[in-house]
Amino acid sequence: MIKVQRLVGGYTYPPIINGVDVEIEQGEFFALLGPNGSGKTTLFKLITGQLPITEGRISISSKEIASLSKLEKAKKIAVLTQEAHVSFDYTVEEIVSLGRYPHQKGLLKQLSKKDLDVMEEVMELTNIHHFKTTPFRMLSGGEKQRVLLAKALAQEPEILLLDEPTNHLDIKHTFQMLDLLKDRQQRRGLTIFAILHDLNVASLYADRIALLHHGRILDVGDVDTLRKADQLKKVYEVEVTPGSHPTLPKPQLLMTPSYTDSSRPFYFKNSYRIKQTKNYFHIQFEHPLRTISNGVIGDGIQWVKHVCNFHVDRNYNGSEPKKDLQSWMTDYSIPYVQAVGMMTAVMLEDVVIVKKEIEGIHMLAIVTAGVGNAVDITKRSFLGAVQTVGTINTMVFIDAHFTDGALVNGYMSATEGKVKALNDLKIEDPESHTLATGTSTDSLVLGLTQQGEKTPYAGSGTIVGRGIGQMVYQATHEALKKYLKRVHEEGYRTTSERVGVMR
Amino acid sequence: MRNLSTLKFLNNKIGWLYLLSGGFVLSTALLGLFISSVQVPVSTILHIIIDKSLSLGWLEDIAKNEEMIIWNIRLPRVLLAFCVGASLALAGSAFQGLLRNPLADPYTIGVSSGASLGAVFVLFFQVTIVGLGNFTLPIVAIVSGFITLLIVFGLVRLSSRILAIETIILAGIIVSAFIGAIVSLIISLSDKDSMSQIIYWLYGSVGMRGWSHVQLIVPFMLLGSIILFFHYRELNALALGEDAADHIGVDVKKGKTYILIGASLLTGAAVAVSGSIGFVGLVIPHLVRLVTGPNHRYVLPLSMFVGGGFLILADLVSRTIIAPKELPIGVITALIGAPVFALLLIKERIGRRG
Repeated sequence: MIKVQRLVGGYTYPPIINGVDVEIEQGEFFALLGPNGSGKTTLFKLITGQLPITEGRISISSKEIASLSKLEKAKKIAVLTQEAHVSFDYTVEEIVSLGRYPHQKGLLKQLSKKDLDVMEEVMELTNIHHFKTTPFRMLSGGEKQRVLLAKALAQEPEILLLDEPTNHLDIKHTFQMLDLLKDRQQRRGLTIFAILHDLNVASLYADRIALLHHGRILDVGDVDTLRKADQLKKVYEVEVTPGSHPTLPKPQLLMTPSYTDSSRPFYFKNSYRIKQTKNYFHIQFEHPLRTISNGVIGDGIQWVKHVCNFHVDRNYNGSEPKKDLQSWMTDYSIPYVQAVGMMTAVMLEDVVIVKKEIEGIHMLAIVTAGVGNAVDITKRSFLGAVQTVGTINTMVFIDAHFTDGALVNGYMSATEGKVKALNDLKIEDPESHTLATGTSTDSLVLGLTQQGEKTPYAGSGTIVGRGIGQMVYQATHEALKKYLKRVHEEGYRTTSERVGVMR
Repeated sequence: MRNLSTLKFLNNKIGWLYLLSGGFVLSTALLGLFISSVQVPVSTILHIIIDKSLSLGWLEDIAKNEEMIIWNIRLPRVLLAFCVGASLALAGSAFQGLLRNPLADPYTIGVSSGASLGAVFVLFFQVTIVGLGNFTLPIVAIVSGFITLLIVFGLVRLSSRILAIETIILAGIIVSAFIGAIVSLIISLSDKDSMSQIIYWLYGSVGMRGWSHVQLIVPFMLLGSIILFFHYRELNALALGEDAADHIGVDVKKGKTYILIGASLLTGAAVAVSGSIGFVGLVIPHLVRLVTGPNHRYVLPLSMFVGGGFLILADLVSRTIIAPKELPIGVITALIGAPVFALLLIKERIGRRG
């Protein structure tokens, strides 16, 4: 569709665009990325003919761009830039009618029936029809941009060039605008060539991207090209970590600023406070911890300052445990957006807290355990899990710096420690009468201060991994003994818990 | 369908506006012909005009002096006032649209200063170019207006590559200031007679010019108006800025050049036949835009009518208010125009705030 070959151009020396080769296919959404001054807008101006081409060629539908007249070009290419200043009080409709300029014929150049039909259609599409007689100047930024888009679409172009069209728009209007464009691309095969600033937005909407650096294309490809962090770092000079969108198979980039937090480092042993009542166990840290957990609240990998474990009645059968936890946390003024939250029917006074220092690394493990519905994961057929009853809830906090991989590693190490404790105490799965590997509703949170040297591994082959295993083993072992003692003395809960499981 | 009906309504509204402004021109013209020290009945006026313009020769029953007054003095004066007012208002609306600046008018760009300098030069040195006779002054004025335009453009071209609007305005102001200084210099060097002659000319007048000046301005006016009318869409497109106009296929450079030539022709010709008459080109397009909206398809022709009618009226006031003496017409337009313009400015600010 658009073919750019060995293009050199721009007024400065050396030229801003210095040897660009790129080809944009019919009907694709192609995003041109690059920092300010890399030549994105200059490349656009070379395409629209506002700047002269020094060397090389640009062709559109295999026609050289220099051979097209301005009107012919305007019928093929429309341009949408950042908000334009419009002088005088032109109405929305009059602005949109300007898009028909290249199509108007005859001596008087009046708007024909066809012109009016096209205008109606694009105003309907961009949802500006209801204010078509309003002066353009009275509109908000987002509305103005929709009007200018309608004007561009009224040209009935084959190609739409977008020069940072969402630059000053909020996310609502940015996504509204891009959804509109994407729809037009998908339904009408409109070719879109866009300069976008926001790499994450580009990743969500573009089919392919090109990275422009010092007037040359550094890389072209699908949006997964954005996962090449080194390349982005070279171009933007910002620490970039590629991640993934949680629901779409698209990369999303996370930027790290270069300033450092002045409050670090801190002394782990003094950095937390524990509060324990009959109803809840709450540990609060002064500094956020990097956590991995399967808690009811704060699951996945997060940064949190609060970890808590709420006692619930053994017959608790809430259909919305997340909402319940949120409201309880609010009652005790624990901000649930910065927290990992768990539940248990186990008596909270039976909590076991183990503190250790292994090879200079401070660790803290906190466990509440109940095995009323102990399970051998390799044996029993699935009967359905109960959220809260008879579970082992484990919290491990370490004064170290883990990568995401090390977090998962550490999570495995903790689980292995737990299984070993169950086995050593000969806890059985009541159904299969084999050794249990856990309960059906175990929760675990692993929290890291992220201080010191970055550690990529935390498995059993590492000191910290073994430390996690040992701590969890010790704490779980102790907690289970407390539980078993209480069961033995009071004879409580086991039966009823089992009933709960069966039900 | 809804759209068609709104369009019809719009056409209707515009139609009414044309009718109204046409009526305004006719009635002011009749007033201009009628009100004077020698009162001639309207029927006689119409009789004379129709008869003369159709060369019927049935004027035996009308006094020769009435015929002389109406046909040789008042009618050319009214027509000249109309032509000058129409030209200035049309040029003003074109300059405002082109420069995207509601404060622009024929004076901003330096054309009228240049034309004035030419005229002052002729008055001071009492030059008469052989073969031109009484036309020496207007011709020199138009030519010097054009030379000024070329100088302004030369300046713009030297300082910026792309005929930027801001540079045009700046260059216009600088050249105008320079020319103003030269005019002042000439005035201070001249003797009492030519000094008052020059100053009176600078204030502007459409009186005592006769048919020759009407004949002089009409071709320029027609040419300039046709050029501008053919570029009304480009004027509209330029409201978005030059880049955006380029993107919808407007040949911006060509369009700008044509519009500047058209507007300069109108300004130069108007200044040449009447001296410098301010505020018509500034205020009239504003008033018209208030009613029609900014679409140049309507602003251009309506500015012409309203500007013409307004200047006929201003001329009428200038010659009746302290009769038998005459005020310079530029004084009247400035006395009316400046406060009106100030009001428009305030109104616009209040409107924007609200």
